[in-house]
Order: sequence, then structure tokens, then C-alpha cells
Amino acid sequence: MSKVDLKGPGLWTTSVGSFPKPDYILSARGKFARGEITKDELTDLERRATREWIEFQDSIGTDLLVDGEMYRGDMVAYFAEEMPGLEIGGLVRSYGNRYYRKPIATGPVGRDAPITVDWWRYAQSLTDKPVKGMLTGPYTICDWSFNEHYATRRDFVLDLAKVIRDEALDLEKAGARYIQIDEPAASTRMDELDLVIEAMAIVTEPLSAHTITHICYGDFHNAYPKMLEIPVDQIDLEFANSDYSLLEEFSDHPFTKYVGLGISDVHTHELESVEEMVEGIKRSLKHIPPERMFVDPDCGLKTRTVEEAKQKLSNIRQAVDAALTEL
Amino acid sequence: MTIRSTVVGSYPKPPDEGQRFDVRKTIQGIDRGETTVEDLKRAQDELVTAIVGEHEAAGIDVITDGHARWEDILTPFARNWAGFEIGGLLRWFDNNTYYRRPVCTGPIEWRGPSSVEAFRFAVSVAKTSTVKAVIPGPVTFARLSVDEYYANHENFVAGIADVLAQEAAELEAAGATIIQIDEPALLDAPEDLALAKAGIAMITDGLSGVETVLGTYFGDAKRIGTDLFDLPVDGFAFDLVSAPENIELIKRAPADRNIQAGILDARNTMLERSDDLKVQIEKLLEVVDAGRLSVAPSSGLEYLPREKARAKLELLGSVTKEVGA
Repeated sequence: MSKVDLKGPGLWTTSVGSFPKPDYILSARGKFARGEITKDELTDLERRATREWIEFQDSIGTDLLVDGEMYRGDMVAYFAEEMPGLEIGGLVRSYGNRYYRKPIATGPVGRDAPITVDWWRYAQSLTDKPVKGMLTGPYTICDWSFNEHYATRRDFVLDLAKVIRDEALDLEKAGARYIQIDEPAASTRMDELDLVIEAMAIVTEPLSAHTITHICYGDFHNAYPKMLEIPVDQIDLEFANSDYSLLEEFSDHPFTKYVGLGISDVHTHELESVEEMVEGIKRSLKHIPPERMFVDPDCGLKTRTVEEAKQKLSNIRQAVDAALTEL
Repeated sequence: MTIRSTVVGSYPKPPDEGQRFDVRKTIQGIDRGETTVEDLKRAQDELVTAIVGEHEAAGIDVITDGHARWEDILTPFARNWAGFEIGGLLRWFDNNTYYRRPVCTGPIEWRGPSSVEAFRFAVSVAKTSTVKAVIPGPVTFARLSVDEYYANHENFVAGIADVLAQEAAELEAAGATIIQIDEPALLDAPEDLALAKAGIAMITDGLSGVETVLGTYFGDAKRIGTDLFDLPVDGFAFDLVSAPENIELIKRAPADRNIQAGILDARNTMLERSDDLKVQIEKLLEVVDAGRLSVAPSSGLEYLPREKARAKLELLGSVTKEVGA
């Protein structure tokens, strides 16, 4: 009953979600913010950049594509801007000299219209390979927002889950067969992992698509194997930046889902060699069979340069090809 | 003696909506070679002056400079001491905020004060409030850093405590009457309590007339329990928003210690009702003498937009005065 309809013995290549924005997008976003260009002009450029990233992924033979999120800024604010009940708040610091606008829940959250479907359709129209639908999960939207409306975090998260479920259903209706619901905040507080699970069940229960969640490396040791209870078909994790230490956990408690195997650290300019990546895949294959393995970078690549991101993706493809010959 | 109002430390740097964010612009300009370090110092001086003014206008008794010149609480020290490099970004506790992890690659050595000039400036612009100095604690500093040199946690903590002791002494020499030593990471590391005690003793033994406060936030201290009060400091700060159960520990605090109670949520924009805060202060007064009680936000306020943080300060100031009247 696998919902994965990709060809071959497994070890498919994909990406976590975001890609770096080319310079012309960065400057266009600045101009749009200053009122120097129109929304349509910005959108035209975002479509061009999306097309370029789809073409790149096709050119290197990526199996499961992403649109690269050229039109998104912050992964929570992007959804908050489109959701009644959430307001975009003032600036707060992310780190150093970086600031972002943190949403505020001021009323019951909802959705007036599909948020991501048009972009998904556009990206899918450019390729014959499947493109993932990309959503931010309810727990993460709650955790990265202020709350002035809901009595409890649980109330807030479960309401968000219904909104994200409706969006996922619309993506499925449009034809998406792979839907990723990112929960990078899920590993922040172990005492709320049950809430992450409860909310994800609301999102994925009515879906027939292959469902994925991406969780950034946090307190993995304490989150595993409980994490396997999150009701998705696949969990995407960072392996490279911890030198594959997560695999040790799999000896005691087998990893029972599909895995998104992150084999390239996204927080460094350094490029892992193809040999290192092949080695990482081989170590991982001792714990998870190839037919349940997708291979990708550790996390979204948006903080890297376009060139660095392309090199990492190319090396991943080469590493997977090398590993496939030895299966 | 009456209750004092205070803050934990950090304050938002962005201006009110629609105003120019000079500090951010100037730092970006330095990266592009368009502005200078002097320009940045001027912008930061203006920001600190404004922050101190906002605290004083709200009637806060004991204030800070908002950590307005700091990237985070570790970087300014790690950058200034020999033995450290500045590493990659890591999540700051359970916030969607990140800090740069210090990496220790050699013997830690003092090369002069890291925070004294900023402290002096804040004092120079404060008209009515007392300015409190804040330094990171040795266990928190060690736990949030990477040690590639000492290969021994105890020696690493002691090495950090040694330079922090010099920093504290310099702050006292510069006129500091209150020094807060932040140890939020100790809450999750009760096994480090003995190390914290030794390290903090190195700091406080070198001080003569300074009132010291151990800063904790983002969690409960129940795993440490009353052993926390063995630490050689004059007072303890607790976050009663993230962990209301900290009240149980406050009840058991020795009578000769000060309590700084964090009762306004520094991480959510929702403004508390003043009546609720008054009830909470009355409850605290049942177990702590007014002269030993300070009330504060639950942690630094920089997790909020500027206007929201200011509204919390104003509420804190007015509630404290009404209860004290």
C-alpha cells in the first residue's frame, strides 16, 4: 500500500523545501517593500526563479521536486499573512542583527482561500516529476507566534491544525501526491510532543497523499522513539550535522517510517565530498532499507548561496547514483 | 522598605513601528563599508539613552541598558577574552531566537573589561533609576559553549569563572551596586550545582559592597530545590510565568535573601491585567518581606516588539507603585 509511486529501488533524491533566492529576487523584494515595483512585477520574477530551480532539479535528475519557496519569506509569517485571526506583529530579533515580524493570534484562526495551491500548480506544470506540497505545521505556527486569543496553547494548535488540514486537502485536490508538513519546532519541548502528534493527526487523517514532516535537530535523544508516533508516512531529519549520531538510536528502536536522510549540513559553506556522502548513505542503509529512503540536504538551503546550494544538490545526486550501483 | 520594580536585562532594539532603525542600518552599513564603528557607537548611545528613558518614564526602580549593544549575552564576553572563537548559531533555550555558540580553543585569559564601558554609559544617562550590571554565570557560559581545549567541564567552568570574577570586580570599581549573574542553564543541569557554587563564589568573594542576584528564567528550579540557596549570592530571580511552581521554592527561601519575582510574561504580547498582578504580588508578600521583594518581567523583554515591551514596563511600574502605596 505504499503511496510512493516513484520508479526504482529507492534512495530517491529530494530537498527539504527552501532554496536560496537569486540576487534579482532579493533586490526585487526590497524594491517591492519600498513601493518601487508592483506585486505583479515581483510575482513575475518569483515565477522566473521558480522555473529556474525546477529546471535545475530536473537537469540533475532529482526524483521528488520542491518549488524552492522563492515567494516566501519567513515560513510562519508566510502563512500568517494569509490567515484571518493572525496579525503580523512588530519586529523581534532572530539573532545578531537579524529581525523578523512575529505573528500575533488576535482571534480564531481560519482561511479565506487556498494559500499555496496556485504556486504548487505552477511549479508542477513545469515538470513531469512530482512536486511536493509544502506546508508549515500547526505546532510550529503556534510556537513561533504570540497568542492573545486562545486560552491554551493546545486550543491554538488544534485550530491551526484544521486550517492546515484544509490547505492540505486543497493541495491534494489539485493533484499533489506528496505533502510535507514541517514541524521544526517539534523537538523544542518534549512535554508537548503529544500535542504535536494530536495536531498532526488532524492534518493527515483525511489525506491519501504520502505525508512527510521535517523536524530540525533538537533534543532528538529524548524525542526518539516517541517521534515515530507522529502520524506521517515519512520523517525528514538532519543527519550530516551530527555525523549520523541519530543512527545509534535506531539500533535500539528501529526507524519504522520512510526517512528523509539529510546528508549535507546546511549551516556551513563547506561542501561535503561525494565520498563522504556515500559513506553516510551506506551507514544509514544498515538501519533503513533503500525502498524507504529519500536523500536530501539536512534542512532548507535558503541560507546558502545559489552556487553552494546547487553544488550540494549535485553532490547528493552523485552520491546517490554511486550508492545505487552498490545496492 | 517597599517593593522594588526591576527588569531581567534585555530590551527590544527595533524602534516603534514606522521609525528609523538606526542600529540595524548602521551595522548593515559597516558590513558594506558605508558606515563606521563610530557611527555604530553613536547609534547605540542614542538607543541606550532611549531605553533608559523608557524604563525611567515607566517608573522602574532598578534597570539595565537593555543589553542594547550585545548580540546575545555570551558573544561580547567570548569575543573579548583570549581563548574563545565565535561559533555557529544555536537555538536560545526554547525560543525561536538564536545565539552564536562560543568555542573555546585555548586557555581563557582576561584582556580587559567587556561590559564596563557600556555600564558607565547607562549610568551617565540614568536620572532617577539604579542601573544594574548583568553578566552571564559560569555554568551557563560553559554549558552553552563548546570546549575544545580544557576537556574537563570543571576546569572549563573555573576558567570562565576566573575571568567573570575580574569583570565583576571592574564593574564594582565602576560604581555598580547591583550585579546580576545569569544562570538559566543551571535549571536543566542540577548536577552542576557544586560547580556553580564554586564558580559564583569566585565572583562574589571578590566583591565588597555589591548586592548580587542569581538570574534564572525560562523554567523551574524544582530539580535543584532548596540547595539553590546554597549559592553565595544575596538574591535569586525566578520566572513565575514559565514555571508558576517556582513559588514553592520562594516560600522556602532563607529569610535573609532577596527574591526577584518574574510575574509579567516577557515572551507573549498579551498584556496582563493589573488586578491579577496585584493579587500575585500580595501572595508573594505573604512569604517575602516587602524590603526583600522585587517584581519583574519573566525574562529579558527583547522577545517582544518595542511597543509591547514598553507597555509591560509601564504596567509593571504602575502596579508596583500602587501595591507599595
